[in-house]
Amino acid sequence: MSSEEPLFTTPDPSEPPRVPSTSGNAGGVSSPLTSSGIRRSFEVGERRLEVLHGVDMELRPGERLALMGTSGAGKTTLLNILGLLDRPTEGKVHVEGVDAWSLSPAKRAELRNRRIGFVFQFYHLLPELTALENAILPAMILFKGSEFRRRREEFEGKAHDMLVRFGLSTRLGHRPGQLSGGEQQRVAIARALLLDPPILIADEPTGNLDRGTGEKVLEILLDEQKERDVSLLLVTHDERLAKRCERVLFMEDGLIQADSSAPMPT
Amino acid sequence: MFRTFLSLRYLRARKTNWIGMAGIFVAVAALVLILSIMAGFLAEHRRTLRGNLADFVIQPRYTQSVRLPNGDLIDADHDVGAMIDLIESHPKVVSAAPQLQWYGLFVPDGAKSAMERPMQDAIQLVELIGVDVEAETGTSDFAESLTREYSPKPPDGRIYSSVERVDDAEDPFAPLERSGRRTSRPGRPIIVGEQLAYLWSLRKGQEVSIITATFDDGGSLNEDAPANSRFEIVGSFRSKDNEMDQRRVYMDRAELRDFLQDSRGWSAVIVKLEDYERDKLQVREELWTQLNEAGFLGAPGDNPNEFRTWEDFRATLLAAIENEKSLMGIMLSLVLVVAGFTVFALLSMMVTEKRRDIGILTALGATSWGVMVLFLLIGLWEAVIGSALGAAVGVLGAMKIDAIERWLSSTFGFQIFNRDIYLFDHIPSEVMPIEVAKIVLGAVVSTLIFAAIPAWRASRLDPVDALRHE
Repeated sequence: MSSEEPLFTTPDPSEPPRVPSTSGNAGGVSSPLTSSGIRRSFEVGERRLEVLHGVDMELRPGERLALMGTSGAGKTTLLNILGLLDRPTEGKVHVEGVDAWSLSPAKRAELRNRRIGFVFQFYHLLPELTALENAILPAMILFKGSEFRRRREEFEGKAHDMLVRFGLSTRLGHRPGQLSGGEQQRVAIARALLLDPPILIADEPTGNLDRGTGEKVLEILLDEQKERDVSLLLVTHDERLAKRCERVLFMEDGLIQADSSAPMPT
Repeated sequence: MFRTFLSLRYLRARKTNWIGMAGIFVAVAALVLILSIMAGFLAEHRRTLRGNLADFVIQPRYTQSVRLPNGDLIDADHDVGAMIDLIESHPKVVSAAPQLQWYGLFVPDGAKSAMERPMQDAIQLVELIGVDVEAETGTSDFAESLTREYSPKPPDGRIYSSVERVDDAEDPFAPLERSGRRTSRPGRPIIVGEQLAYLWSLRKGQEVSIITATFDDGGSLNEDAPANSRFEIVGSFRSKDNEMDQRRVYMDRAELRDFLQDSRGWSAVIVKLEDYERDKLQVREELWTQLNEAGFLGAPGDNPNEFRTWEDFRATLLAAIENEKSLMGIMLSLVLVVAGFTVFALLSMMVTEKRRDIGILTALGATSWGVMVLFLLIGLWEAVIGSALGAAVGVLGAMKIDAIERWLSSTFGFQIFNRDIYLFDHIPSEVMPIEVAKIVLGAVVSTLIFAAIPAWRASRLDPVDALRHE
């Protein structure tokens, strides 16, 4: 596929000027997650619709980075590409220095499994599994039968401790359908953290929760992030959420237009 | 690990999957049950169709002077002993016996009453079989047929008669002892088949006539020889082959020879092998070659009627049943295909319903191969559980089919299996483990093929699409 080739070498001068998000150091070993020159276009009927016009960004170790922008700005598309779920039309994504889209699908899947934790707006738990089973799902995917059986107690213990810490001690055996939204999202956070990934990607994690519940869930997410020194990429359009982050990127029309590490616009 | 775990969980949680499993269960159970019964019928028919036929029946078409291995020149036409010695010298042959076979018209109470009988088969063609009791006993089932229990019930329109078995199976052709006075010389002793006896309401001790034609040594019709003689029924036999039980009439070979005034005295040699099923082809080939070299028979294959196995006499019927069994297997395999379609439909539905789950699994690091295996496994469990249960029920059913049929018949008040048609007193069935294994394997493979399509589709799902907002 064309995107596996290093198509992008120098910025296209015809592009509108943009604020460089970071050093733009693609492949920098110190960064858990960087992107360089990400373009993504979709075929809509006869037309070709470009959603991302060459996005460079960097998630620094241990930081909380908020990605903001109006709907349609391309946040979700970028997130899918950074989360290795969607292949960019052009550009590269480096996960801990590894060019993720040049890897085999199996290696990329392993990268998703071990290095990236996802928290979705709609929780995305498997309805047939209990809270505890949902939380240990990443380990089930990672290990083969015998290895998993050997280590099952270890993972169950770990997931159990997290769920108890998140206030779900009486809900471990419940199915998602029996849990409230806030509870489901806490299970999803435990699932995302099970394999201790260095990167956490959260897509509007409180977007589907009422304000009070959202606050509590956010507290849990941020506490865990701080404690584990995980790099968090938080997609939101809620400014209160963004304010809890160390750095904010603003997206507009498929480009990162502002970086709060430059003076914040008041 | 998630594949096994999740596939079992999905199977348990989603009852619709059980429909597919039930389909496989029914298909496998039906296949095992029906094919076991067909195999039973085939085996039973092989047992009954064989009747009193020996493993091999050798009927030389013409014979001439024969030079034996020791150099003696003999007249093969008259010295059947030399041929039997040669056959019996084969290590896999148990014994051989001569028979004299001829045909006749059977007339029970004189021609007049025969003509009055309204039945269409009033004139009965019979095979006259002249046997040497001692040699015959070791070579065919003749002796067993003399003492075998009576058939369960005569076919429609035929009535029980008082015909009985012979007085002494060791000496079956001995004339009946009579206390009463007797004016004429007793007829030649014959043993008739049970069905013939039923048909004509024959009694032991009854005198009957048999009309036949004889030939002189030159091969032309012998107009002077007695062709009509009186016979006395000294007993009956049951070979279990209906046709044989209606057509065969056994006599002492010497008596028949005397009746026919036949100078040769034999027309066939029957042979019994140590293990017919194992050795039939090899021994037939070897014996035929040896007999040909000695001059008793034509070259092997020249005239197939000179050297026949018992199956050759029943080839058409045996092939028909075998054919019926294959057809039944093919038809029932279609049930399996339908079950496969059910699995296909249900899994396709499930893949559509589970789009989001597939996206989640992909996001959490499952490969597309892993997703495909997950759905294949659901199909596999359905196939394994369904066919294992089906095989178990099918085998159990085949083993107990007779009791089940009797219970059903008595409970619902109509007869499902008419035991009179085949003259079987039970529904035969024979479970063949290899056949069962083949059916189970076929069910699993065909289900997997059907499951592969939705599983492949699941693996091609775009996780981004799958995870798109609810």
